[in-house]
Amino acid sequence: MTAATLPGFPRPIVRRRELGLLLAVAAALALGNLSLGLTRAGSLTVVDPAGLLIYLGALVAVHLALVTAGRRVDEVLLPTVGLLGGIGLLLAERLPQDLVVQRVGSTVLGLASLQLVWLILALVIAAVVAITVRSDRWLRLYKYTWAAAGLGLLALTFVLGTDVNGTRLTLDFGPVSGQPSELLKVILVVFFAAYLAENRVLLADARVRVVGRLTVPPAPYLLPAGLMLALALGIVVIQKDLGAALLFYAVFLCLFYLATGSKVDVALGIGLFLVGFVLLALVFPHVRDRVATWLDPWSDPLGTGFQTIQALHAFARGGLLGTGLGAGLPTIGGQLPIPAVHTDFPLAALGEELGMAGVLAILGCYLVVVARGLRIAAAAADDVRALLCAGLALVIGVQAAIIAAGNLKLIPLTGITLPFISYGGSSLLVNGLIVGLLLAFSDRGPLPPREPRRARRPAGGPG
Amino acid sequence: MTLQGPGRGHERPLGGRVARLSLVLALVYCGLTLGAGYWQVYRADDLSHDPTDAGMIAAARSVVRGRILDRDGHVLATSRLDAAGEPYRVYADASLSAPIGYASRLYGSAGLEAAYASELLGTGGDDPASRALAKFRPRTGRGDDLQTSLSLSLQKLAVSLLGSDRGAVVALDPRTGDVLAMASTPTYDASGIANPATSRAAFAAARNDPGQPLLDRAIQGRYVPGSVFKIVTAIAGLSSGAITPATTFPQQPAAETTGLLVDGYRVRDGHHLFTGSEVLDFTRATEVSCNIWYALAGLRTGGAGMDEAARRLGFGAPLPFDLPTAASQLTNSGGPLPGGFADDVELANAAYGQGEVLVTPLQMALVAATVANGGVEPQPRLVTAFVSPSGAVRDVAGGTLGRVLSQGDAGAITTAMVQAVEGADGQRFTTGAQVPGVTVAGKTGTAQLGGSGEPHSWFIGFAPAEAPTIAIAVIVEQGGHGGSRAAPLAGQMIAAFLAAKP
Amino acid sequence: MDPLTLAVWAIRLAFLASLYLFLALVVRALLRDIRAASRDPAGALGRLVVIASASLPTAGSVFPLDAVTTLGRDLGSSVVLDDPFSSARHAVLTYRGRGWYVEDLGSTNGTLVNGVPVAGALPLGFGDELQIGDVRMRLERGLR
Repeated sequence: MTAATLPGFPRPIVRRRELGLLLAVAAALALGNLSLGLTRAGSLTVVDPAGLLIYLGALVAVHLALVTAGRRVDEVLLPTVGLLGGIGLLLAERLPQDLVVQRVGSTVLGLASLQLVWLILALVIAAVVAITVRSDRWLRLYKYTWAAAGLGLLALTFVLGTDVNGTRLTLDFGPVSGQPSELLKVILVVFFAAYLAENRVLLADARVRVVGRLTVPPAPYLLPAGLMLALALGIVVIQKDLGAALLFYAVFLCLFYLATGSKVDVALGIGLFLVGFVLLALVFPHVRDRVATWLDPWSDPLGTGFQTIQALHAFARGGLLGTGLGAGLPTIGGQLPIPAVHTDFPLAALGEELGMAGVLAILGCYLVVVARGLRIAAAAADDVRALLCAGLALVIGVQAAIIAAGNLKLIPLTGITLPFISYGGSSLLVNGLIVGLLLAFSDRGPLPPREPRRARRPAGGPG
Repeated sequence: MTLQGPGRGHERPLGGRVARLSLVLALVYCGLTLGAGYWQVYRADDLSHDPTDAGMIAAARSVVRGRILDRDGHVLATSRLDAAGEPYRVYADASLSAPIGYASRLYGSAGLEAAYASELLGTGGDDPASRALAKFRPRTGRGDDLQTSLSLSLQKLAVSLLGSDRGAVVALDPRTGDVLAMASTPTYDASGIANPATSRAAFAAARNDPGQPLLDRAIQGRYVPGSVFKIVTAIAGLSSGAITPATTFPQQPAAETTGLLVDGYRVRDGHHLFTGSEVLDFTRATEVSCNIWYALAGLRTGGAGMDEAARRLGFGAPLPFDLPTAASQLTNSGGPLPGGFADDVELANAAYGQGEVLVTPLQMALVAATVANGGVEPQPRLVTAFVSPSGAVRDVAGGTLGRVLSQGDAGAITTAMVQAVEGADGQRFTTGAQVPGVTVAGKTGTAQLGGSGEPHSWFIGFAPAEAPTIAIAVIVEQGGHGGSRAAPLAGQMIAAFLAAKP
Repeated sequence: MDPLTLAVWAIRLAFLASLYLFLALVVRALLRDIRAASRDPAGALGRLVVIASASLPTAGSVFPLDAVTTLGRDLGSSVVLDDPFSSARHAVLTYRGRGWYVEDLGSTNGTLVNGVPVAGALPLGFGDELQIGDVRMRLERGLR
């Protein structure tokens, strides 16, 4: 008996399904590029062939790295995320390049080039994490350290951060600026997963009766949950960032449900948040204004309601099939109709140019990512890992849902980004990290051996 | 509850919860889909064609609007390019400011420029289907031309005849409803507003002008009609059978001097003392514009009859027209009597055009046109066809607003109106409306406003009486007697029109 | 409609179609996974029951066994042992022919079967006890 007949860990494994999906992604992105070129130039040209090839090359490189590393990780995540990133690149290509400008030495990089750079870095991070992360002890054992680091980061941002559009989310490091709240997402998910997994029995079983048949977990264990609620509402008030608050809280509630199965607790949590939010809206004017603008943007069409109204008009102009890449977003006097479209309203721009068909396809991709992540969680080896995977998948899926709902005026507008599509270095890098972790945890173990010549007869067998 | 440990492919409650959570998320995404559908399909049409939509504004700035043409092919409105290469509008004459309106970047649009913005910009017509297809058509950068029924020469003439007075003229073809001229004075400088260089100054001048030139008096001005309203009373009386052309009122001659007592109120006449104690029939009463006779006719017809005839003519609602019109009224409704009159006094006053009656010049022109057209009221229209940049012509169908009175009754009224213009006594009132060689039918009105101001000068009529080709309504605000300003103006318009036709 | 407009719209629609083609392929892959999962009942060959453990997996856990089952601390292992004395890739259980075999993969602290250290590949029968670090497990029959 030698190990020769055993599938060894480092042996390369073919990932046919992933390759096939990547080919579909390449075809789609090529068609998109061609469409943009046709609209712009009036003849059959490809806009920025170099950028497209570099991006596709990066995706293939990641694919090959995963093949070589021989880890049997999920084959659907990379292509889906690759498609989303590619659509983001098409959008960046289509918008005026001077929306974001960065000088590197003597060259000036515009929107599309920068987006490409960040995307490739994100893919690199995803690949590195997917290949090298083989154990989760470092996440599991130091959960309180992680929590402290997260809160410290939050405090740092609040103290040292710069005000951008009325929210304090950015830290400036010289020429580059980052949004630590993005990394905070991952840190908090790690903490939640570890904490909830560890205490799930107590949270679910040791209940204290409050009113009639209503029971809640005992106070010491409710404390972190209560702190979480306070944190969420606090972020809304102090940092004026409704999106992050909603995201953290929603992910927390979902993980809580997964850990304890208690629908009552989740309902209570939702109720308390709504009550708290209403109270905040009554007390704080800026929260009230946000809600007022959401309910009727036409009451101030040239001021606070302007962005929302322009976004809705963009969706309307798109209709079912869109106006075509590059043919929408009519400029008036050289100005785009929607301000900050590359960060806050990418879905509106895509809604105008790709129509409802395109929007549904994009939402479908996010749903695939979330569904895949949750499935990885369901098949995970233990609680912490399961909750971790679920949390990471939910971060992407819930964030996409929140920003899409904000663009569509279903909930008030928030400042968070559409994962992989919005322009934003921190957002892309952190989402790359999330995908990498999901891939790492999705390892299905060694390949099953090929069927031996002598078939396993059902009549035979052990005993 | 079983404790969960590490395992692969293990049965665990977590799987069930994950499934439920996935379902919840799928529902959330379904909600997003519905949201997208709401804005991208359900509200798509009204949002994307809202004048404040960026697409509409951009189209307006870059697309060259189609031209507007008069009935003879003269260009009334066209586009020129400014220094930046963006188009702006230029209008043939300031007299066209009422019907054509203006289209400017700063102040939006008005008149036909606003009403037919979609066609002029080539973004498709009023129905969603043609708009959806417009997306697939190659962008020609030009919209459709509007073919109107206006006559540039008549329009210019009308405005110059009104001069510095405020007023309106509506001239139309009674057989088809084609509006030949629709003038409102004072006019404003529409070209000035459309030209980006002079936009602000021109608009401020128009807005600050005490004469309110931006108000289209022809279709939005509501005035006391005075005696021209007697035609409506005649229509009501004859078609309801309350009066006939031979109807006389024995108390009428005496009431000329003493006044007619209605419910304690005295209706006075007196501006035709030359008829002495003659008992007037319908034709004579119309010729000398006898208020007493008409008051009695109105009382005999009754409020309900008056109201019903008025409604058939189009009173009580905006008239169907290319441009938005104000509604003419018989009375401030709410009165206890049939038809909404407060009492018989008001009914009597309304019968000869005072009381609470308010009319638009277009409405009165239609009254004249109805009589001219044998009792069938034509539907007024300005735009007769759309011509695409490739030359394809899309005709706009004309129509009628229904039969208002019988041919016989229309004939009787025609006879009376001819007498009012051509008759020996009638000429005293309608000086200037006569056109040599043509039988003109008409009626003047002198609308008393109460107080010390001059009355409005009115005239409605049509010609030639045997086979009318033009119906006209003229009002000169505070122009004095009907014969002072309105009648001569109408006469000159009719003469010019008939002279131009071969 | 002129040919350029036709071409422009054809490519735009083709792009949208390609997005849905991708989603269709993904859905097909997901369905295949679900079907595959339901087709292979786990644990038909054998099960591993944890008798005693100081860490994860907790005592009482049951693991269905595939034909090849790896044990160790690495995330890629079929059975992940969180024991500090377990190596990343500690041992492998294989079902060959008609029986089970256990093989130590060169671990630091070795593998014990019924208290005896494993050298090379050792046949394993039902009821035998396997010990890795502080985790003691027993091989049991599979469910049919």
